[in-house]
Amino acid sequence: MKMLLGCTINAQEHTVLVDPRDTLLELLRERIGLTGSKEGCGNGNCGTCTVLLDGAPVNACLVLALEVAGRDVVTIEGVARAGELHPIQSALVEAGGTQCGFCTPGIVLAAKALLDANAAPSEDDIRHAIAGNLCRCTGYGKIVDAIAIAATRMREG
Amino acid sequence: MNPDPVEAPIARLKVIGKRLARVDAKERVTGQAIYPADLSLPGMVHAKILRSPLAHARIGGIDTTRAQAMKGVVAVVTAADFPAMPVGSTIPMGETGYDMWMVAAINMARDKVHWIGQPVAAVAAVDLHTAAAALALIDVEYEPLEPVLGILAAMAPEAPVLHEHVFTKGIEPRPRAPSNVCSRVVISRGDPSAALADAHASARLRVKVDTAHQGYLEPQVAVAQVDANGFATVWASTQGQFTAELMIARMLDLPASKLKVVPLEIGGGFGGKIAIHGEAVAVRLAQKCQRPVKLVLTREEVLQGGSGPAAGALIDVAVAAQKDGGLRAIAGTYRMDAGGLPGMSPSLLMQASAALYQCPNLNLEGFDVVTKKPRTEAYRGPGGIQAAFAVEQAMDMLCQRLGMDPLEFRKRNASVTGSLMPIGTPFPAIGLDTILEAVGRHPCWTDPLPPGAYPRGRGLALGYWRGTSMTSAAHITIAGDGRPMVTMGAVDLSGTRSTMAQVVAEEFGLAIEDVHVQTGDSKSVGYSDGAAGSRVARTMTAALVEACGDALRQLRSRAAEKLQSAPELLHYADGVFRSPQPSGAAISLAELMQATLTDGAVVGRGVSSKLPLGVEIGAHVCDVEVDTDSGLVTVLRYTAFQDVGLALNPMAVEGQIEGSVVQGLGWALLEGFDYGADGRLRNASLLDYRMPTALDVPRIETVIVETPVPNVPYGVRGVGEVPIVPPAAAVANAIARAVGVRVGRMPMTPERVLGAIRAAPGSSCD
Repeated sequence: MKMLLGCTINAQEHTVLVDPRDTLLELLRERIGLTGSKEGCGNGNCGTCTVLLDGAPVNACLVLALEVAGRDVVTIEGVARAGELHPIQSALVEAGGTQCGFCTPGIVLAAKALLDANAAPSEDDIRHAIAGNLCRCTGYGKIVDAIAIAATRMREG
Repeated sequence: MNPDPVEAPIARLKVIGKRLARVDAKERVTGQAIYPADLSLPGMVHAKILRSPLAHARIGGIDTTRAQAMKGVVAVVTAADFPAMPVGSTIPMGETGYDMWMVAAINMARDKVHWIGQPVAAVAAVDLHTAAAALALIDVEYEPLEPVLGILAAMAPEAPVLHEHVFTKGIEPRPRAPSNVCSRVVISRGDPSAALADAHASARLRVKVDTAHQGYLEPQVAVAQVDANGFATVWASTQGQFTAELMIARMLDLPASKLKVVPLEIGGGFGGKIAIHGEAVAVRLAQKCQRPVKLVLTREEVLQGGSGPAAGALIDVAVAAQKDGGLRAIAGTYRMDAGGLPGMSPSLLMQASAALYQCPNLNLEGFDVVTKKPRTEAYRGPGGIQAAFAVEQAMDMLCQRLGMDPLEFRKRNASVTGSLMPIGTPFPAIGLDTILEAVGRHPCWTDPLPPGAYPRGRGLALGYWRGTSMTSAAHITIAGDGRPMVTMGAVDLSGTRSTMAQVVAEEFGLAIEDVHVQTGDSKSVGYSDGAAGSRVARTMTAALVEACGDALRQLRSRAAEKLQSAPELLHYADGVFRSPQPSGAAISLAELMQATLTDGAVVGRGVSSKLPLGVEIGAHVCDVEVDTDSGLVTVLRYTAFQDVGLALNPMAVEGQIEGSVVQGLGWALLEGFDYGADGRLRNASLLDYRMPTALDVPRIETVIVETPVPNVPYGVRGVGEVPIVPPAAAVANAIARAVGVRVGRMPMTPERVLGAIRAAPGSSCD
């Protein structure tokens, strides 16, 4: 039996028909068509499906769709504003922090959650913030650099 | 006209060699990049695969009646839906071809299952929930056979034969009885036994390497559609659209002209996406139900299903030197655990283990052995890390016995341009001596190791990877605004579109923004081999230099007509043709194309085949701290030196090296398949199969050395594979220098390190 669910996704109100077995990731990818969030493992171990739920990073594959009723979700599609990249995104582009790109959406959101809460993170803070996001291509160095560059730029306005 | 690019002073390059962002980076950071799992087609149904629960069994029968009758199920397939593949069938690929009997077995078991996780049936249904439920309604009758899991057990004369058709290759006369040893390779020169017996110092070591996984974050996926004429289109995550097409066509007995493979973005491959894993099954399901079919593997299927972990190994090596450190002998026995189907020849990894040393006496013997575990596949520099883990540790032990600095020992024995490779041919230009000089000058080697709470050590290890060339094709059309539009036959595994845009921009004298590069599907560009063996950047550069020359020649003759000059008199630079003085009349590519677009298309074509190899060489230096209470090894500092010929884009090169090193560190310290006695993978998740996180590794420093390869455009070498080769040995050598023990088993987990420390003579622990 399918159920009606209301929630806010990327500042837009949505009313969606969901299967109670659907995860938030399935809601986003299959029901809404927001395919930027990726599924690398389906059980919360890789972080490629990281989205912000009421501002906090979560693995969308571990949240049931029905749990987000009335709540606020931000996905990778909602990070750039009016075609302008978020400083985290532009720093990842410039610093070579994306290769195959499959982990990148999750990394952007994990980093955004960090910088929203901590404007001047140390390298250790950055590494902790993305420790739930596996990347198999970059070795993390250029991702960490990019997040540090973004933090500096955001502080300096 | 065009000066030979190899001779062009590097300082004159305007686009090549610059640290430019990937041309596709913005799509990646905004979530707009399209991977095949993101695709949704009208009427699309979803597939799931039923997999063997046993490591070795005969299939008595498969009854799909109940599954087919389930509401929502639209198609079911088993091996009966595919033509039987004769033993020995191959498709073209590189020098040797690719074994299609194996590809068929990876995708659908017939008569027998060879590992837990091998596909035995597949279902397509209106949604995934239904497809998953339908799998439980397929009845498979198995007659269990004895699983053989260990390498030595499989090699034992009394071992049950796992494949009746496998007779050991490389033994003369050809054996009469089948064997679990699929192939044997010997590389020898001189008299290593005598050299070992007479040498001033020698070292012997046995290492065991657990199977590990490529760990690409995107699971295998295919979306298949068959139109009313029977023409099939497959959107795939593949390292090679042409290889995938050949494999799918052969598995389905479909003419290649009735099939197109469209490569979309690929979320990592590292060797694991050379062969098809379900693409042909998805097409067969689509043919049966006449609806588009999407098949996405789960992470557990990726790890356990036979989509390609890397071969485990059991290696014995012995090395010997004279008193002054001159290397006299390398002897090695390399046993590779291929898993459930025959694997690759051990030749390349054997060569890798001895190539970097000038050594008069060699005896290397390698075996490819089948066991009842998931079938294995190439993984970045396949076999190199296993071989280096053995040989580079043995060299380090030899240095300790000689009382010689490990860098001085390498300098004393390093292969140089012209010295003999293990296979007996002389090395083309290599820069190992330059690399070793750079190591000796670098703070990572000269800085004293700072003291820590626990013992610390510094390790050095070398790495070699031969790579391959094979063939690449591309064409360039000139758009109405005069800009080159490139279609290449290679998928973009490592930023290829970006580096190839740099090459074309350089050749045309344009900015990178003026060039558009796309990957062609298997029907829109010429045949190219897959992205493997560090071949694409080199061979595609060669193909594109040719295609640019071809297009520019055509443009030149058009310009000559417009400028009323002889073509050879025109000067071309930065997108403009100019007549000689005094006229000095000029026409830009944009003006030229606007004036001549309807005269016919300008298409520049380029093909590269048999390009000289671009062998990869690296030296790595690693500092570790070993927690002697827990066995935890922390990598404190890591520096990778590598000769890349010429860095097309230093940022991309660093990215390749850094990522490859971290994969190597993962296998060195964390990653290994843990099989139960029944052949079941006990850590088939990314929680239990632990790949490095941002907290597990330090920043990887890179030092790029450039020794161009002769007769190769821009002198480019392979980059991505060799950095994975030395890390495990470098870490092991650092551990040995810190706490005086060799773990002998990869990964060097805390339990194993602690076990080795406690077992060491003189250990105070009981």
